[in-house]
Amino acid sequence: MGALDGRSDASSDGVDDYRRRARAWLTTNLPPLEGAAQRPTSEDLTPEVMAANRALQRKLFEAGYAGISWPKEYGGHGLSSAHEGAFLDEASAFAMPDFGALSATTFDICVPTMLTHGAPEFLRRFIPKVLSGDALVCQFFSEPSSGSDLAGARTRATRDGDQWILNGQKVWSTLAHLADWGLCLTRTDWDVPKHRGLTWFAVPCDAPGLTIRPIRQINETAEFCEDFFDDVVVPDTDRIGALNEGWAVTQTMLVLERGAGRRDAAIPPSGPGPMPEELVSLAQRAGRLADPLTRQRLARVHTTDFVGRVLTARIAEMGRLGELNPGLASYVKLFRGTYTPIRARLAVEIGGGPAMIWEGGDAKRAATSLAYLNGRSASIAGGTNEMQRNGIAERALGMPREPSFDAHRPFNEVVREAQNPKGTP
Amino acid sequence: MELTLTSDQELLRESTSRFIAGRCPLTTVRGLVDSHTGVPEGYLRAAADLGWFALMVPEEQGGGNVSGDGVRDAALIAEERGRALQPGPFVSMNVVAAALAASGPTEAQAALLAALCRGETVATWVPGDATADAGADGGITATPAGRDFELSGQADLVQDGTLADWLLVTAGSGDDLCQFLVRVVTPGLSVVPMSGHDITQRFAAVTFDRVRVPTGSVVGERGGCRRVVERQLQLACVLSTAETIGAMDVLFEMTRAYATERTAFGRAIGSFQAVKHQLADMSLSLEAGKAIAVAAVRAVQAEQHDAGEIVSMAKAWVGDTGIDIAQGCFQIFGGIGYTWEHDLHLFLRRITMNSLLFGQPDWHRERICRMHGL
Repeated sequence: MGALDGRSDASSDGVDDYRRRARAWLTTNLPPLEGAAQRPTSEDLTPEVMAANRALQRKLFEAGYAGISWPKEYGGHGLSSAHEGAFLDEASAFAMPDFGALSATTFDICVPTMLTHGAPEFLRRFIPKVLSGDALVCQFFSEPSSGSDLAGARTRATRDGDQWILNGQKVWSTLAHLADWGLCLTRTDWDVPKHRGLTWFAVPCDAPGLTIRPIRQINETAEFCEDFFDDVVVPDTDRIGALNEGWAVTQTMLVLERGAGRRDAAIPPSGPGPMPEELVSLAQRAGRLADPLTRQRLARVHTTDFVGRVLTARIAEMGRLGELNPGLASYVKLFRGTYTPIRARLAVEIGGGPAMIWEGGDAKRAATSLAYLNGRSASIAGGTNEMQRNGIAERALGMPREPSFDAHRPFNEVVREAQNPKGTP
Repeated sequence: MELTLTSDQELLRESTSRFIAGRCPLTTVRGLVDSHTGVPEGYLRAAADLGWFALMVPEEQGGGNVSGDGVRDAALIAEERGRALQPGPFVSMNVVAAALAASGPTEAQAALLAALCRGETVATWVPGDATADAGADGGITATPAGRDFELSGQADLVQDGTLADWLLVTAGSGDDLCQFLVRVVTPGLSVVPMSGHDITQRFAAVTFDRVRVPTGSVVGERGGCRRVVERQLQLACVLSTAETIGAMDVLFEMTRAYATERTAFGRAIGSFQAVKHQLADMSLSLEAGKAIAVAAVRAVQAEQHDAGEIVSMAKAWVGDTGIDIAQGCFQIFGGIGYTWEHDLHLFLRRITMNSLLFGQPDWHRERICRMHGL
């Protein structure tokens, strides 16, 4: 057993020490967390809240607790993911910097993508800014005419000496209006098939010619933005990955986006814990705690929550044992996309009609309705359930690829034809 | 379903699967559906030689296992058994053996335990009052009668009931549970072999009509039984869930392969999104089932405080999704899956029956609510 329980392992000894030091530092330097951590929405992220969180990030950075597992040469600390896990574990009781969805796009998606594909010169210049809280990164990814078909991006980057001129429109860019930079997918060659003419750039959100507008959503927040690029100038040194090889960068990003990059993903949960408190009190308020159907619904939600967590840990472990298979990442995403709306619906059924009305601005009472609306995004955002099913079937189960009508033809020809379909009079 | 096995466990898995392939492959199982026992001659003794019934028993009581993790080893074997729909008592033998070993057996019970480990005799569990409110049993009561006890009531669904020489009976006595080890040839006790949905397993209905049993047949201390019974239920659920996972895994793989081979409209049917997406959904349910089943096995092995809850989650999840997957596989095979010669119905039968044994999904969900004081 000695070799298996890991305690005799030298690097794990290091983790225990590290954990102790981290705990001591956290206790003296960060305020304890009051109540459960709840991801702030775009409305919560006021300029004051953003500034306070940036200050917290800077504090972590200065104390050496930012970029724990990122490479040393770019300002990280080059430690193992076990060290990072230990720190996050200890930090869960404290108020950590939280930029809402931008925390994930920056630290779990965009920067890991940059670390995989970016040039050393760029990374040396850029990563320290991220670590100190001065560069929060969003994704300029989807476009009005290409959502699921990401390789069909039409935002145009045209070379002009040492720089590029960007023109086009992006959409669904989460919290772009609060970000400092965006990672932008562009088309740099129109005469080749769609996957072969793509290139990524890092673009400052305050670049002249870039207009970012929040979009009002069904839940009345504005987390998504639409972004207009009018002759935005980007130096070639801010290119991420090789020219026209942006599809490889995209693949990395998609895998990370589906949850594979989450720093706590591989830690298996110890147990299901208490039943979801908000649902139990919903049932209580409705006088339905003794109702067999309600009890079934409560247990269903509680079971599915735990199954989702053990599945996430299992998939992360499979990734750790093998390669980061994009099909694998789709399992976690499809689980979330399938069961989030079901969970929201079960909550409504537990609470019944009265749970969907409330007095004035009672946010707590409005939570069921809000969760019900929010539940719609999980099956679309970050790749629809259908795209995940294709991913699982084709990449994990070995089913033949979808026949494609555009993948082998020059992209400009495809666009021309789409605008002038054959057979149209 | 485990992602990593120790070399000992890998060896156990290989020897189990080799034994099954040699002694009782699916074609043999199929050939035995009309037989009385459903088990090939000499199968139990040979399985006992591989240690199948000794896993939950400490070495000093005549048992032993490969990895020191008896529950994980048993789950590994159960999964392999599920892959080829093995007949005969496995869950029941291990549950009874675990119960006897944990209850401080009398001398006679210890001798029986050793015989169970050697596969010389067969015992099964009559959950009786442990799952009485699941509707699987009418409930059994034990009443003191002089120095003896009298058992009355009925158990409508007893797995391996027709194969057993001995029954471990969980009965209600006042507010408490108590357990008895009873020979099937006891007066007043009737074991009626039942025809059943799962033609690769054998079930019985057992009736106790004022069955008089001596004090010596009491298993464990009176009053201290509830914890042991809970453990039996956990073990039964976790092993039957592992068996279902094995069956689901093979059934899904058969279907996945068929979708790449079968062509229609000039393409493999697996290239159509309507088929592809069904496969992806099934694969997701199966992967999630493996994840929760492994969590349950580990929780039972470690005797975690919330093991009962995790087990019920696994039993409920795999019970429901197993049937969904079997239906999805039917849909992809089309008409051929509806024929007797195709193995699909054998898997459907086993998966469905396992979902109903030891508490169906609804019952486990209700149990979860109660565990949370609701």
